[in-house]
Amino acid sequence: MIRSPRLLAVLLGATALVSAPAAAQFGAIDSIIGKVQSAQKIGEGLRKISEPEEIKIGGDLAAMLLGAAPLIADPAKQRYLNTLGRWLALHSERPGLPWKFGIIDSDDFNAFSTPGGYVLVTRGLFERMRSESELAGVLTHEIAHVARKHHLAALQKALRNQSLSEMRSYFSISTGSSIGDRFSAALLSAGKDLYARGLDKDDEYEADRVGVVIAARSGYAPWGLAGVLQSLTATTDESKYGLHNRTHPLPLDRLVRLDSAMGKRFDTMPGLVDDLPGFAALRRPPAPLAAPPGPKPPPAKPGRRRP
Amino acid sequence: MHCARVILFAAGVLIGSAALASERGLMIRAGDLFAEPFIDAKKLAPLTPNQSVTIIERRGGWVSVQAEGMRGWVRLLNLRLEPAVQPAGRPIAALRTGSTGRTVATGVKGLDEADIRSAVLDRGQLAQLEQLGVGDDAAKQYASQNKLTESTIGYLKPGKAP
Repeated sequence: MIRSPRLLAVLLGATALVSAPAAAQFGAIDSIIGKVQSAQKIGEGLRKISEPEEIKIGGDLAAMLLGAAPLIADPAKQRYLNTLGRWLALHSERPGLPWKFGIIDSDDFNAFSTPGGYVLVTRGLFERMRSESELAGVLTHEIAHVARKHHLAALQKALRNQSLSEMRSYFSISTGSSIGDRFSAALLSAGKDLYARGLDKDDEYEADRVGVVIAARSGYAPWGLAGVLQSLTATTDESKYGLHNRTHPLPLDRLVRLDSAMGKRFDTMPGLVDDLPGFAALRRPPAPLAAPPGPKPPPAKPGRRRP
Repeated sequence: MHCARVILFAAGVLIGSAALASERGLMIRAGDLFAEPFIDAKKLAPLTPNQSVTIIERRGGWVSVQAEGMRGWVRLLNLRLEPAVQPAGRPIAALRTGSTGRTVATGVKGLDEADIRSAVLDRGQLAQLEQLGVGDDAAKQYASQNKLTESTIGYLKPGKAP
């Protein structure tokens, strides 16, 4: 646990100084070790966590986002999203993560990912996609954030002064224990800041560039993301796009950089898919069960047909 | 029932084409209007920055447009969309209802900063999310059914800032 040789020397020195009976001696050492450990900060430690630890952090942050907007109860759509998402993620640098995708119940246009392979898109985004390649563009952008550990890097900055031993307790003890609670609370607070303010702009540009390559590797037209960014250049509806637009660089800026990065590299690739009929049927919002309340239209004249 | 279905379908088609017809693009930079969606296709006309075009269809990296009285193709990455026209100086609350021409229904769920700030961990929902994942086999089967072709492509260098 103690990696620094200097720290070890101090502790050994402390042992030599203690001349009390054995039991007391160990007690004193335990106390010193405890103090030193609780004083030790996470620093760069979040960069070195294991994959299961990363998944635990990601699961908690996903649970937080799901607390803000729950999953929609539509097994067909959720299954479709997970099948497509898994296929795309297989072409990332981290195909072996336990990728999980979910559509959350919000009319807003947004997508989120958390460490360890959790990706959430809003129902509003899902329904507004023009094609499967656009949805692939959104999912691969999020997959890229996870693969490149962008959220962990941002959390690392926010949590570097937290206690290392508290982080260890959080990882080692099952949920519901109080020992890791201080780290858990700090993580939740840093996570809320992160999802409310957004990642570094450079991480967004990188996720755009990495995402289009993952989409093309998977057989999709890599311009899907550009189509989505294009839609975002027209948005003036603050109520639905507000959080997305405040947490990302300007879509026009992203389009121009993407054009420069992509150039004509994908122009001659054969067999890229724009859209598939299965998604065309799924993305349409279901028709209302009954007409909304209001004045009844006059009865249709008998025998009248649409031209 | 049959009749109602036909009318619904017709309405759907009408709404679809109306939405497409209302999409107007603006050239981000100068570019050409091509006769076909290929870079070495015949050039029909030069287009200037901020020139307005009507979007007809999207295909891969190309968009079919109406411009200069002609129908042709421009590169998708050369286009932005014209912002939806909004009356200037109106408060957001008024825009919310005014922009759609109908009142906002109750139960329309947004997701803004305040919702995230006040969110409480929902472990039941997380458990449901954990159940949604599919295995590699299901993903590969989907790809093969839909003839998705894999390829090996290296990552891209950063693009130039505007």
